Amino acid sequence: MASVLIPVSLLLGALLLVPQALGEFTAYQLGLYLIYGIAAQGIGFLWGKTGILPLGQALFFGVAAYATGMALRDGGGLVLHLGLAAVVLAAIALAAFGLAALIFRGRADSGPYFSLITLALVMIAEQVAGTTTSLTGGFNGFSGYDSLAGLDPFGGFYYVIVAATAAVTLLLLTLNRLPANLIARAVLDNEPRLQLLGYPTHAIKGLAFTVSALLAALAGGLFASHQGIVTPDATGFALSAQLVILTAVGGRFHVLGPLVGAVAIGWASDSLRDSFPYWELLLACLFILVVLKAPGGLAELVERGWRRIIPARPAVLPPATEAPAPRAPQDPGALAFEDVRLQIGVVRILNGVTFETPAAGIVSVIGPNGAGKTSALNTITGTLRTTGGAIRLGTQRIDNRPPHKALASGIGRKLQVPSVFFSMSVAENLTIAMMAGRARWSDVLCRSPFGWRSGGLTRVLEHAAVPLAAELSRPAGTLPQGHRQFLEFAMTAAAEPPVLLLDEPCAGLSPEETALMTDLVRAYQAATGALVIMIEHDMSIVEAISDRVLVLHQGQVLAFDSYAAVSADPAVQAVYAGGTK
Amino acid sequence: MSTVLLLNLLWQIGTLALVTLGLAIVFGKLRIMNMAHGEFVMLGAYAPVITAGFGLPGWLQLPVCLITVALVAFVLERAIIRHLYGRMFDSLLATWGISILLREAAELVFGRGYQSVSPPIPGTLHLLGTDYPAYRVAAMALIALGFAALAWWNARSKVATRIRAMTGNPALAQAIGINTGRLSAASFVFGCTTAGLAGLLLAPTVRIEPMMGLDYLVRSFFALVTGGLGSLEGLGIGATLIAGTQSVLGALVNQTSGYLAVLTLSILFLWLKPDGIRPYSR
Repeated sequence: MASVLIPVSLLLGALLLVPQALGEFTAYQLGLYLIYGIAAQGIGFLWGKTGILPLGQALFFGVAAYATGMALRDGGGLVLHLGLAAVVLAAIALAAFGLAALIFRGRADSGPYFSLITLALVMIAEQVAGTTTSLTGGFNGFSGYDSLAGLDPFGGFYYVIVAATAAVTLLLLTLNRLPANLIARAVLDNEPRLQLLGYPTHAIKGLAFTVSALLAALAGGLFASHQGIVTPDATGFALSAQLVILTAVGGRFHVLGPLVGAVAIGWASDSLRDSFPYWELLLACLFILVVLKAPGGLAELVERGWRRIIPARPAVLPPATEAPAPRAPQDPGALAFEDVRLQIGVVRILNGVTFETPAAGIVSVIGPNGAGKTSALNTITGTLRTTGGAIRLGTQRIDNRPPHKALASGIGRKLQVPSVFFSMSVAENLTIAMMAGRARWSDVLCRSPFGWRSGGLTRVLEHAAVPLAAELSRPAGTLPQGHRQFLEFAMTAAAEPPVLLLDEPCAGLSPEETALMTDLVRAYQAATGALVIMIEHDMSIVEAISDRVLVLHQGQVLAFDSYAAVSADPAVQAVYAGGTK
Repeated sequence: MSTVLLLNLLWQIGTLALVTLGLAIVFGKLRIMNMAHGEFVMLGAYAPVITAGFGLPGWLQLPVCLITVALVAFVLERAIIRHLYGRMFDSLLATWGISILLREAAELVFGRGYQSVSPPIPGTLHLLGTDYPAYRVAAMALIALGFAALAWWNARSKVATRIRAMTGNPALAQAIGINTGRLSAASFVFGCTTAGLAGLLLAPTVRIEPMMGLDYLVRSFFALVTGGLGSLEGLGIGATLIAGTQSVLGALVNQTSGYLAVLTLSILFLWLKPDGIRPYSR
């Protein structure tokens, strides 16, 4: 907790000294910068972790500011005002979550378009605020109300702002130490992988957007009480842009970065605007420079210098404990394809694939390039939408569901090109995988999942020949190809899915590593009694490992039998020997 | 529908199509989310102010416009934009910075207040039973001619294909002999210059001020999003939809509802049909 409490108490101490040391007018000005800083911290949280750039945060800021102004004008006591604030914040949270979750549902790539939608929304809000004169006072602004609890903006209200700043900083620093932080970062790093681990990424993005909207709304409420007037600018495009600039220059990857950016730029603007006409030009150049050369902003430059003096200590992790059991059914039954068809544009990839696997055992899928092997696995996880037929797991129909639902019905997937969270350490990758299909919403707000272990993971990690145990703190992006294959296998095995789909797990491995991987696959199947479906080109592996072999050719099943029977099949021989069928 | 309303509609669609053309190249082909697009329109619109300020003859407006806009675009491309190909989010942010830079620079040079210039062709023309400003008629004819020539050239030229090859895979494009640095700079400068030309054409009909670009940026972005990024056809559909919605609602109800309708329409497209009516095909 020291990493949280020390910065917060230092911040609190410094801010509390300001009115005595620098005077009340400085404190009043600083209060406004801190209000913008809180909104910018929300942008930093959303943008720095999940990569979503909100261009319309003033929407929430302004709505909350108008609501605060109206509540304060209509009188009533502090209790009533705080109650109303809770209602307004709840409504904003609901609206923000609904908006983001709806827009992000069913896609993994709408980042820039989401930004433009938030931009359009804030322009609507600005226009409405400017034209509904009876409600908002129009362009003259909404004023004539007392500040919250009658506190003087030049006196006591400063301490309310400081308390809010410290509370928000405390909250965000605490979140950084929790598994929720890893999940939010994983969205930006590798969203398709996160979906295959069973995480509903649209809801995660929605929650992150909600946090940022709530912070913007909190800042807006403080703003209304601090300034005594709310104009359409408070819900406008220009303020939204300004908040993004504060965040970028201050540093979006650090909790304190946006706060530093808001105070530094606010202070510099106020002291330079009148005496130095080129200040706005300079600020624009600074912003461009940050975007091009220092995406981490001021905070990252400071932190890099600081870490040179005092290196980061590895976090103390909670003791290893047995993870809760997976929620997926442990015995889902056989996997059946019934006349499955898949067509993309004019290309027909699967032309009526029909087969039924046993409920347990290892099934190898072979076939020439372009036979539809990977596409068949993609239809099982829902990554590709079929154009006909049905896929069943036991009695449950599983085709055409979103990929994040695959794990909940018992299907784990390892991809062809190793897909891990490249910006995170091996241990962080494994923590996300350990929570897959097991963690509840409350678990991501405790530190215990950092110590979770399952049999599926332990068998891989503690195998003497697997290199991962010695590399836990190494970033996954720096691992060699072979080690990435083992990492992704360990991540998929950690969730202990009763149906394990492996797409060429031995690709790019040395002969020793290949033998090790086949051992691990066999051990997984033996320990869990799972159904393993594995695409493989190396016939010696196929022969050694398979209970059944599925041969695909031109999007159809050519044969499905034991290895001996398949290898004696003239049709299969013709395809592999290059003869005509 | 009255004739004036129809002519106004055509004027709005034509000028929006011209403004959007540059963005279609810079955003549609180069994948640079150019938030400074409107500022190039603004720069072009200041060309008549410059010539008037120096007491230069009116015919110099066109060369002054082309040279200032192209020069600014070229310098920005070489200094900033060339680092941003393939980084769409960063391109959005950096060009946002550029838009502030250009606005502030214009404010320092020309002042904050708005200016107006008189049209080079004065008077009205009797057209379809009504009197309509002769300048607008001539400008619409020019725009129509320009787009016809562009469509003719576009059907024959391989430049669009080369640009797509470059943005799709720069290393491979270089390997097959495309000078990517020159091609991207030329495309960016061309796109921005058409925006400047649109500004020059619009100058006699609007208030010229440093902040004027934002409105053009928003409408051209939304025209592209609704129409689709792929083709001239999509551009035409998008411009018609956006300018049509705005001017019809603006004339029948009021300006605010036209503006709100355009924003709402754009949100729906961005959400439900982000590839637009004519998605990338040819």
